[in-house]
Parts: sequence; structure tokens; C-alpha cells
Amino acid sequence: MSLSGNIDFDTLKPEEFEQYLPEFFATGNGKVSEDPRLKAFLARNPDCAALVHDLETIAETARSLFAPVNDPSDQVWSNIQSKLREEFPQEDPAKLD
Amino acid sequence: MNVEGQLMTQAPPPKTNPGLFKRNPPIAGEAEAIEAAKNGDPEAFSKLYALHKRRVYTLCLRMLGNVSEAEDMTQEAFLHLFRKLGSFRGESAFSTWLHRLTVNLVLMQLRKKGLNLVSLEETINPTEDDGPKRDFGSRDPILTGSVDRVALERAVASLPPGYRMVFVLHDVEGFEHNEIATMLDCSTGNSKSQLHKARLRLRELLRQTGNVPLPDINAEVAN
Repeated sequence: MSLSGNIDFDTLKPEEFEQYLPEFFATGNGKVSEDPRLKAFLARNPDCAALVHDLETIAETARSLFAPVNDPSDQVWSNIQSKLREEFPQEDPAKLD
Repeated sequence: MNVEGQLMTQAPPPKTNPGLFKRNPPIAGEAEAIEAAKNGDPEAFSKLYALHKRRVYTLCLRMLGNVSEAEDMTQEAFLHLFRKLGSFRGESAFSTWLHRLTVNLVLMQLRKKGLNLVSLEETINPTEDDGPKRDFGSRDPILTGSVDRVALERAVASLPPGYRMVFVLHDVEGFEHNEIATMLDCSTGNSKSQLHKARLRLRELLRQTGNVPLPDINAEVAN
């Protein structure tokens, strides 16, 4: 995104805020709701504040998805063993069991 | 002055990189297993598989959204790992390195597949109609304080491939926009934009599935 002009946070409009929002999220600590420059704007624009709240909630919850929860089937390891035996016949196949 | 530059000078200091080292702390016995596996010890490689299969498979499943393809890709990732392990220098956490290797393989796979490539490009460079609807102009209820993890997982799975890719890489896996831009061969601005659109789409999806509502947002947003 490349837009000219300085951002005047005192006169910022919701449409402009929407344009800048990806950048607001990408800079700072990623918590737009805690950005001091936006505090007054968000206080007078509850729809924008609601949007920020929701997007932050989604991002925070996403971090909890990092912990792996799914196991591949045993067949995956069997296939890996078979392929390695084909590719590296000099290895001792018994050790891969 | 462009907005990006302006924000760089006016914004609070950049967040300290959460760092994949922090998210991928060393695992007991891993370093020894890596060294042994580099020397061709199959038991050590078996241990590395046991330590990392869940994370690799989960990553594949999130990116591909399909169990069969995710298992195939997990297999490919570990075969690739076996072949390339000698080039691991320990400059990043092993799991970070393995993640990158896996992500690159998944992206290569998607690019090979004509259909997915088209849909990836569509969402990497969407038309106006493809993007989530604007969300201003009406008072909307907000998501509850915590989004249900399972609901979010389902919503992520239903994202278009391009959105899903950027969202998983950034918000789940912790990659930075510049890293994602390199992996996806797009600009950092594009990565930021796609992430934002992905989150907007997720917001819509979560509200449709009932992760809605606090009736009055004023008290919370004013604080």
C-alpha cells in the first residue's frame, strides 16, 4: 500500500482507518487497540473499535493453534521407511523399524 | 511520503520478534539426534520423526486442508529432511528450519497443481468482489472475548487457499511479513493486505457460526 499524505489522527475518518489498518497491525506490537495515537479515534468510532477488537481476538486465538494437535497415520512412517530403503539401500533397514 | 514509511517513523518501536526460537524451544535429546542422523543413524532419524511428526503434519493439514494430501506432504517433508539434513547448520531452531522446508514443499506442491495455483493467485491478487465486505457503517456486535479454538480451526479450513496460507504462516506459525513475501513471491504489502483480508473473512465466518455477540461494545472499547 502506498498512499501519500500525512495521517492526521485527530481527523482520521473510518474509511481512511480501514485503508491504514493492515499497516497499523503490521507495525507496533500488533495491538492496534493499545496504540496511543488511535485511542481517541477508537473511542469516538465504536464500529472501528469493534473491528479492531475482533481482529485482535482472532489473531490471539490463532496463536493457540500453533500447538500441533493432529497425528499422521502410521502408514506415513511405513511409507517413509520403504522409500528410504529404496533410496539408501546401504542403510540397515532393520534399524528403521 | 508513503504510509508504510510514515508508520515506520511514527509508530511505537517494532515488536520484538517473537522469534521462532522462542516458539520452538530446543527439545531434550534433539541436538544429539540431529548429529547422529546426519551421520546416517536411522534410529536417530526415527527419533526426529517421532519428535516432529505432529507439528509437520498439522502444518501440512492446515495449509492443504486435506488429510490425504497432508499425509503425502508429511512423507515428502521427512524424506526431504533425510536428504538435506547435512545442510542444517543450527543457525535457527531445528523446528524452524523444518517448518520452512515443509512450507516450501507445500508451496511447490500447490504451484504444481494448476487448480490450486489459480485459486492461490486469485486470493493473492483478489478482485474487489473477492475480498471481504467492508465492515463499517453499522454498529456490529463483536466476537466474544475468546473465540472457540475449534470454531477458528474450522473457519481457517474454509478460507480460500491464498488467505489461508498467509493467515497460517503469520498468525499461527509466526512468520514475519517479509519472510512470507519471500516464500509466496509477493510484496510485503501484499502479505499484510492478504492477512488483513483473511482476518476479515474469518470474522464473518465466525459470526455466521455463532461466535458472536456481546450486545453492547461500548464499555469494552472505551477502556
